[in-house]
Amino acid sequence: MSRLSVLSPLGTAAGGIKPLARRRGSLRGLRIGILDNSKPNAEVLLGRVAELLVERAGAGPIALWRKPGASHPATVIDEVVASSDVVLTGSAD
Amino acid sequence: MLGTDAFAGLAEAAAASLGMPHLQLAAVAHPIGGIDPKLVRAKAETVVDRVLEALTRDPSPPLAASVATVCAVAAPGDLDAFQDFAVAEGWSDGLPVLPPTEERVGRILGRLAGDRTEVIATLVPRQGVATLEAIAVNAALAGALPEHLPVVVAAIRALADPRFNLNAIQTTTHPCTPLLIVNGPIAARLGINAGANALGQGHRANAVIGRAVRLTLQNVGGARPGREDRATLGHPGKYSYCVAEHEAASPWAPLHVERGFRAAESCVTVCGAEAPHNVNDHGSTTAEALLFAIAGTAATTGSNNIYLGGEPLVVLGPEHAQTFATGGWSKADVKRAIWERARVRLDRFSPENRERFAVIDPARFGDRLLADEVALCASPDDLMVIVAGGPGKHSAIIPTFGATRSVTVRIEE
Repeated sequence: MSRLSVLSPLGTAAGGIKPLARRRGSLRGLRIGILDNSKPNAEVLLGRVAELLVERAGAGPIALWRKPGASHPATVIDEVVASSDVVLTGSAD
Repeated sequence: MLGTDAFAGLAEAAAASLGMPHLQLAAVAHPIGGIDPKLVRAKAETVVDRVLEALTRDPSPPLAASVATVCAVAAPGDLDAFQDFAVAEGWSDGLPVLPPTEERVGRILGRLAGDRTEVIATLVPRQGVATLEAIAVNAALAGALPEHLPVVVAAIRALADPRFNLNAIQTTTHPCTPLLIVNGPIAARLGINAGANALGQGHRANAVIGRAVRLTLQNVGGARPGREDRATLGHPGKYSYCVAEHEAASPWAPLHVERGFRAAESCVTVCGAEAPHNVNDHGSTTAEALLFAIAGTAATTGSNNIYLGGEPLVVLGPEHAQTFATGGWSKADVKRAIWERARVRLDRFSPENRERFAVIDPARFGDRLLADEVALCASPDDLMVIVAGGPGKHSAIIPTFGATRSVTVRIEE
C-alpha cells in the first residue's frame, strides 16, 4: 500500500513535571483541609473520608472550604495551603 | 484527589496537564451526585484505605512526559485507509478528514508560513500549544481553505481568553461547544451563510471553519470525546457550529458594533453554546404578541443560565426581528422585554435544586417565596441578540454553559 507523509495535528504540549509535597509517614494530629468543589454530595464524600481518617489514623482537626462553583478555579488555595497539612479535593459528578 | 471511576480519565488528564501526572487519585464507583447522601457516605468506606495510602506514601516518580510535536507521520496513502488511520490516532471527529500533507498545510498557511511557530494560544486541558502551524494542520484535516484560516485563528484566540473559561467548556458534562458568530465584510466574502438554513448544513465555509475549530480543540486542546470531554450527551453542533449574522436583514446594529468594533471590521464571537431551541410563531403580528413564544421557549427549569448566569443567545429570524422593529423596539428594548417575561416560578424547581441554586446564587435563589420568579439570566444586558436565517416565522433560543462569557475578537487578515 502506498504511504503518505502527513503532519500530526496534536502539536506540542506545554508543561513539565512538578514535584509533589513530601508525604508524611502518619496522619496523626495532622490538619485535614477539605476543598469542596460544590458538586452535589462532594462535601458528603470528602467529609466522610476525612472523618474516617480521624477515626482510623488519628488525623484532625478538619476544616472545610467551598468553591462557589465547580467550573472556576479556587481563589482560596493559599489559605487552604497555609491552614492544612493534607487536603482532600475532588473531580467528578 | 477523589473522584469517580467514570471521571478518572479526566482527573488524571487534569493532574497531568498541571505537571502532576503522579498525583494519586482515589476513585469511588460513579456517581456521587444525585443520589442519597447515605449511599455517598458508604462509598467513602470503599476508598479510605486508598486515601490513607496516598497521603502517607510518596508516589513513584513519573516517566518523562511524552511530548508530541508538529511532526511528519507516515500514513496510508489510500484515502479510505487514511480514515481508519485518523480514527485510530484520535485525530478525527468521525466524518471523513483530508490528509494534512505538508504541501496542503503550507498552502493553508500561505504568507503566514514564515510565522508557523507563532503561538496563538495554549489550549486546556492538555496545555496544547496552538501554533499557527498546529491550527493549520487541523484546518487541513477539516477541509478548510487558506482564506478560512484567519477566522479559525481568531476564534482560537478568543477561546483562550480567560473570560471564556475554556477548561470548563472542554471538559463539562453539559452539552456545549463554541458557537462562532462571524460579523463584518469577511462573512460575505468567504460565503459564510447568514441566510436560509443559517445554522444548518450546505455551506462549505460554515462547515469547515467550525469543524477546524472543533478539531483543534480536540487534538491540540486534548478534549477527546468520552475521555477529557465528559459531555453526557453532547450535541450535533460539536461537529461544526459557525454562523454569520445577517446584518443586511437586521433592523439594528450588529453584534460586533454593539461591542465597540466598527461595522467595516470583521470579527468573530465565540460563545459556549447549546443546540438551538426553536421558537415557532406564525401567528403573532406585534412585538408584544411575539414575546409570548420567545419568552416561553427561553424560560426553562433545566437551563444552566438560570442558576449560573451567563449570556443566553436569541437568534431572531429576519421576519421576527422586523416585527419587533415595526413596533419601534430597539435591540435593548427586545432584550429587556424578553428578560422581564422569560421567568420561572421557584415552585417549578425541585426542592433539591432550589437548595443547591441558593448556595450557588443566593442573590437570586436565597430567601425567596415559592411564588417568586427568577429570570432566564442575571440581567437584561446579559442576553445576546443576533439576526440570522431566511424567510419564515422562526427564531431560536441558544442557552449557554452559564459559567462562561462570550468573547469577540477582530479577525486579522
